[in-house]
Amino acid sequence: MSIFRRMTNLLHRSRLDRDIHAELQAHIELRIEHNLAAGMSPEKARRDALVRFGNRTATREHVTSADAALLISSIGSDIRYAIRQLVKNPGFALAAILSLALGIGATVSVFSVIYGVLLHPFPYANVARLANLSLSDPRGNIFDAGFTGQQFRELRNVHAFEGIATWDSQHLTVTGHDVPENAIAFFGIGETFVTLGVPPLLGRNLGPSDSPEGQEPLPVVMLHYRFWQRHFHGDPAVIGKTLELNHRPYTIVGVTRPHFTWGWGADVYLPEEAAQGGGVVVRLRPGVSLAAANAELQPMLERFAQERPHSFPPKFKVDIRPLTFETTRNMGGTLYLLFAAVAMLLMIGCSNVSILLLARGTARRHEFALRSAVGASSLRIVRQLLTESLLLAFTGTGLGIVMAYQLLQLLVAWMPSGMFPPDVAIRINVPVLLFTAGLALLSSVLFGLVPALQMAKPDIGQVMQTSTSRTAGSVRGKRLHSGLVAAQIALTLVLLTAAGAAVRGFLHLLNVPLGYDPRNVVSAGIPLQENTYTTWEARVNYFEQLRASVSALPDVVSASIAHNATPPHSGSEQRFELRDKPSSSPESQTARVHFVDSGYFSTLQVPLLQGRTWSAGEVAHGARLVVVNQTLARRYYPNGDIAGHVIRVSALQASPPDWLTAPGADDWMQVIGVVGDSLNDGLDHPVRPAIFAPYSTLLPRGTQILIRTRVVPEPVLYSIRKQLATVSPDQQTYGVIADLEKWIRDEPEWARGRLISALFAGFSVAALFLSGVGLYSVLSYSVAQRTNEFGIRMALGATRRHVLRIATASAGVSVGIGIAIGLVLSLGMNHIVASRVGITTSHPLIVLGVSLLLLVVAGVACLVPARKVLSIDPIIALRSE
Amino acid sequence: MAKNDLQGTLDLLVLKTLAQMGELHGYGIVLHIQRASEELLRVEEGSLYPALHRMEQSGWIASQWAHTVTNRKAKYYKLTPRGRHQLQRAEESFDQLVKGVRTMLRYA
Repeated sequence: MSIFRRMTNLLHRSRLDRDIHAELQAHIELRIEHNLAAGMSPEKARRDALVRFGNRTATREHVTSADAALLISSIGSDIRYAIRQLVKNPGFALAAILSLALGIGATVSVFSVIYGVLLHPFPYANVARLANLSLSDPRGNIFDAGFTGQQFRELRNVHAFEGIATWDSQHLTVTGHDVPENAIAFFGIGETFVTLGVPPLLGRNLGPSDSPEGQEPLPVVMLHYRFWQRHFHGDPAVIGKTLELNHRPYTIVGVTRPHFTWGWGADVYLPEEAAQGGGVVVRLRPGVSLAAANAELQPMLERFAQERPHSFPPKFKVDIRPLTFETTRNMGGTLYLLFAAVAMLLMIGCSNVSILLLARGTARRHEFALRSAVGASSLRIVRQLLTESLLLAFTGTGLGIVMAYQLLQLLVAWMPSGMFPPDVAIRINVPVLLFTAGLALLSSVLFGLVPALQMAKPDIGQVMQTSTSRTAGSVRGKRLHSGLVAAQIALTLVLLTAAGAAVRGFLHLLNVPLGYDPRNVVSAGIPLQENTYTTWEARVNYFEQLRASVSALPDVVSASIAHNATPPHSGSEQRFELRDKPSSSPESQTARVHFVDSGYFSTLQVPLLQGRTWSAGEVAHGARLVVVNQTLARRYYPNGDIAGHVIRVSALQASPPDWLTAPGADDWMQVIGVVGDSLNDGLDHPVRPAIFAPYSTLLPRGTQILIRTRVVPEPVLYSIRKQLATVSPDQQTYGVIADLEKWIRDEPEWARGRLISALFAGFSVAALFLSGVGLYSVLSYSVAQRTNEFGIRMALGATRRHVLRIATASAGVSVGIGIAIGLVLSLGMNHIVASRVGITTSHPLIVLGVSLLLLVVAGVACLVPARKVLSIDPIIALRSE
Repeated sequence: MAKNDLQGTLDLLVLKTLAQMGELHGYGIVLHIQRASEELLRVEEGSLYPALHRMEQSGWIASQWAHTVTNRKAKYYKLTPRGRHQLQRAEESFDQLVKGVRTMLRYA
């Protein structure tokens, strides 16, 4: 039968009516014609025709019902009836809808993030053949290989590569405005856009013709969509206009698409090459494996390493990695863990709907038997149940979609920054939306129909006469219930233990002693342009002028120069020697070396424990005096007598014009003081030994100024920028001046910890709620069904306690089995989870705690049905027959 | 005859008519049954239409509007391949019925 035709019939109901009327009328007219032809008078002919035809109204209705009423036309009344049923049981309806919505919303949003960040972060052509040219050392560390202009050109001729894309970034200043603006520029674009194969949004892409061989590159620039929006407010007529960078005019030739991720946060792209060089992404020739490309490249890169030994790690191997390697390494563990959590939530949701529908369907057997007895066909009953299930599924799915959008916003806002390109497209993933919606539909339809199919050929007589509705259901149905409840409990327990561990880990992070006070301190990044302040004296003076100008602001308590010493990740790991204590393993004797001024410790409120720090003059002259932290002092001089001993950091070498050093920077330096430990290796690692040297010892091309303000720093930021510009009108700061509390929040461990613990906590509370509801509904329906039986038992002398035990026994067994399986799963997964995101779930208190919590919730869920059992009056229960 | 049997028979008569005559409108079917059964069978004309529509929903017959010789619009029905199958089954079961009833009547 064509259900489609029936549906169209329904839609064209009025046309259908007219059709039928016309057909019947035609019949009568034909009969009249016939009668007239046979010689009857017109009046007789008409009367005869009508008589022969019979009752016209009744016939018309019969015809109509033959056409439409069989299946479809009454669907409206089915829906109305279904809504009435659901409204009559708001608890049931709400629980089922929420179960589906939570599962769908959570799964869709998390998968959408996974798709955007892990599966498809790079919108380039043939992205599978794009790979990052990286190196690995014997310890398994992975580095991006760095190249300069000439080397780039040689790489183009490597056979294994079809094309190369370069990334080589520097900070430039957008000049010609009142406050200089920082722009992250990617240099030496060459054939990068050709290799990536992405069309521009406006204008044209940069190409090799913009940097012709042997000639000056053209003064043209391509804007990133984000910069175009920020700086030009999305002006569509921007092509051909001029952008001034470091006082040089560039003609804008193109704008990228919005989710173009090349350069992870690039603002502008330029054809000209920068001196320092950068990394390479290659497009492999079809059929060339990573191993083959590695082998071909190894000799060439070894030659490069001989030319520029500083740019390559010792004993490196070429180790080309897929483009998504880094995002996957950064976020893969976190996101797949979250996905496992939401998948569990979805499973719990679907099984919950199944439980609810099963329990309700069983409880309604009597109603169906009655309807069947008064003439409803089994088809009609199936249809009714199907309508109800579909209504639930669609409402739940709709709500789930709304939740998915909300949750996605939260996820995006809380994703750790810097772990993946900031421009990735994270949007609701339609295939997965359809998949989960389909799953929801399937589970509600399937389980909604089980009771209906059982009822398809009910023994009406038996059900009606013996009032079977009030005895225990079939064994199979009960087993299904118990299995689903146990599965829910097990999954909930797994989620709860994971959530407990995540929250514990995050609380631990929150309570880590910092060793410094991050409140009201901001860190302003100060990049210097290429080939500026190239003498040591000029650079020291310039930095000091900048610092002094900021500290002159009324709202600033203190300002200090610190090149690389903004906690919680500070200093760079360097080898050092102690003259009095030659190390047995000099390779591994390392400390975090910081370059700061004497105000650094007071700005961060790191206590001076012993000795002194430098005077301003000592800093200005690059005196060979160092301060160490407590960890270093204790480790090498446990008796507290480190002051006066001498230390050498041998790697301190100048490489002008970028890196300048004070004379004798790699000479022995005397320890003059010990300061308290402050975090220098991130939030989740113990403090490393640290050496602080005057910042003038080593001057990189740029620094940071740490500024402690009297009030919350936000209102002061603009005046800080203005003040810096008074020293040098083109001195910009890195994009955003951030306070140190934000630096902590931006730490990957912190952001990941917050994301995982908040979401896991949310998901597990949802799971707990859902399983509680599931357990409650199973139990209360079974109690309602067995009231009669319990009445008989009591009448025969069973105590209330005994009956209570019978009533709750099966639920108890389910909960017990569920908890047991959940514990095994949690402990089993402990290893996997720990290796992926560094949280352990096996903490005995957590496991014990969540098991108890589950038991309490299970107990509460059983409470109401149990009270009902206790309140059964045997007389009434028996009389209710 | 019981009601059910009558209905089954009506279906059979309609299907057979369409098989013999090709396309016909409702009135034409009534006339044909009457004529072909030599006036032995007389269909109550109104009751024909619910049956026609039901058979159409079952996919045994198909319909379309066309003009009669007297230029009146009427709905014409014709047999579908599925209808042809159904006709065969209906004929067989009718034969069974007749055979059964006859055997029973002959029982002494």
